Amino acid sequence: MVDIIPTAFLFFLAAMVAPFVPVVLRSVLLVALPILAGFQIWYLPEGMLLQVGFFGFELELMRVDPMARIFGLVFSLAAFLGNLYAWHVRDTVQQVAALLYAGSAIGAVFAGDLITLFFYWEGTAIASVFLIWARRTEGAYHTGIRYLVVQIGSGVILIAGAALFYRETGSIAFENMTLGSLATWLIFLSFGIKCAFPLMHNWLQDAYPAATVTGTVILSAFTTKLAVYALARGFAGTEILIYIGAIMTLFPIFYAVIENDLRRVLAYSLNNQLGFMVVGIGIGTELALNGTVAHAFAHILYKALLFMSVGAVLFRTGTAKGSELGGLYRTMPLTMIFCVIGAASISAFPLFSGFVTKSLILSASAKEHYYYIWAILLFASAGVFHHSGIKIPYFAFFAHDSGLRPKEAPPHMLIAMGIASFFCIAVGVYPQPLYALLPYEVEYISYTTTHVITQMQLLMFSALAFTVLMRTGIYPPELRSVNLDSDWSYRWLLPRMIRKIATVVAAIWNGILSFLTQRLKNIIAGLYHSHGPEGRMASTWPTGAMVIWISVLLGATLIVSFFG
Amino acid sequence: MSKHETDPAKLPALGRMFLWTGNKSSVDRLVYGIYGVCALLFLADFFYEKHVYLAIEEVPGFYALYGFFMCAALVVCARFMRIFLKRDEDYYAPYDVESEDYPEDQLDKATHDG
Repeated sequence: MVDIIPTAFLFFLAAMVAPFVPVVLRSVLLVALPILAGFQIWYLPEGMLLQVGFFGFELELMRVDPMARIFGLVFSLAAFLGNLYAWHVRDTVQQVAALLYAGSAIGAVFAGDLITLFFYWEGTAIASVFLIWARRTEGAYHTGIRYLVVQIGSGVILIAGAALFYRETGSIAFENMTLGSLATWLIFLSFGIKCAFPLMHNWLQDAYPAATVTGTVILSAFTTKLAVYALARGFAGTEILIYIGAIMTLFPIFYAVIENDLRRVLAYSLNNQLGFMVVGIGIGTELALNGTVAHAFAHILYKALLFMSVGAVLFRTGTAKGSELGGLYRTMPLTMIFCVIGAASISAFPLFSGFVTKSLILSASAKEHYYYIWAILLFASAGVFHHSGIKIPYFAFFAHDSGLRPKEAPPHMLIAMGIASFFCIAVGVYPQPLYALLPYEVEYISYTTTHVITQMQLLMFSALAFTVLMRTGIYPPELRSVNLDSDWSYRWLLPRMIRKIATVVAAIWNGILSFLTQRLKNIIAGLYHSHGPEGRMASTWPTGAMVIWISVLLGATLIVSFFG
Repeated sequence: MSKHETDPAKLPALGRMFLWTGNKSSVDRLVYGIYGVCALLFLADFFYEKHVYLAIEEVPGFYALYGFFMCAALVVCARFMRIFLKRDEDYYAPYDVESEDYPEDQLDKATHDG
């Protein structure tokens, strides 16, 4: 009946059998399956390949086109790298969650309608939270709950939007939409939450550093890039995205400079990188959309690489805090080199992947005359070098000597980082194969004299600024601390406000209640006083009173039956 | 450096190759190197034909100055923000992982010499 298995189902199938497979084979399965999925996606023909009836709706489970394909491929690659990095993990919960999570993300990418998208959207939410809970501490449990509330909330808003959209248009197809009605705004909002739009972003910085060593690597790839894909598919050319994206590139870099937990620094820079992609979607020209997709591809790889290198440090030392680390290059030189490669890629050094992808978005913004946006993106590019490119390797591996002499990362982690590094450099040196996968024809040459020199100027002078600030002591030192962000409103303010309101309401309620009980008690006491055994009334009650009352009752009955 | 001296012979070969980064005079040389590279890059702007979209990009050294001053401003602003935003690590405890230790059983802590 069905001549094609949806790629997502491969992952779900593997997730079902994984718990029953012997431990060593399970790791093999986890690594091999994404490769298989990648091959399947590579060879899929384009078109609507599989329809399924669902309560009178026709669901499109496999819409294959260039945009879906490249995201499917890079998600498979990310799943492969993440699972290879997690080769040592023997925790079934994490392994199954990783499979379900990757499967859901890939399923969502190939979803041709909003209902299918919704199912996979919630799938990513539910599967991924286990990567946070797998840390198995109280803090991780609470963080996971916060994460889940936001993610599930995004899905609920999506299905509400989809229902309204169906009522409006009579279609559930997931195509490019125009903002205007409540339906499209709800869908937009739902995508925006997952994409970590400003003020809706904090679940990301809250949750990712709370996941396990390997969980964070896997988390970093899927959820937010799925949202980028959904926005590119649904809202390409929506102008408001340009401004949202520009703000996204801007504010996280300030936080990244003062943040101590290096995995949270990376989460902030992830947010900043998403901003570039969102700007590209907002501009919506072929060049810009190519830029967004290419940048998402490159970003998934270098971000995973950076999270892997910091994760390896955490794995060996027990901490990822800048204030506790330093000088690790002595004993973890390979991890350090891989970290530097990731850092160079995110900073868009020539010959590294960011250089050939980010520039598409910057060029598109200048071409379409968004000069202020271009200036902001340029600032953000310099800023990202500052906090991700320099800060991460510097504070982890150099800076002051922490005295820690951890062993080099285990071989499987090094291999995973090595493969990710290879892709980062390969894309940077020879971008044509990536460009060929993009949704539109690419007529862009990254390596012009002007581009290389101006980019080197931007980066080297940023490095110069870092050097000068470091030497003059102006650069803020890494301190054990947390920084308030928008999550303060629901983690600190809201509980206290609720507690305050609860106190006031409780006081009023208790006041009314005690007033009423007091009254009731007084009445009872009064009655007891007059009618109780010692009461005045009781003392005068004749025994025959009962007889009188019975005759009164009988009399009343007689009258009633007489007139009735 | 003396506080945590380790016998270099025991370090991995690759790690030994980077030991110079702990040496003050080498770091100074590196910093002068950065100054030199920056100066060259700045001067490079006068020796090739720029192909750009925007008028402001034509200004010699625009990218260099923009990168330097914006980054400096970024750090100064961030440092200023810290005055308002910084809290103790256990600010959100126990509902946060920040003040917790990472569970030991999920780690493989090991030192390089065994």
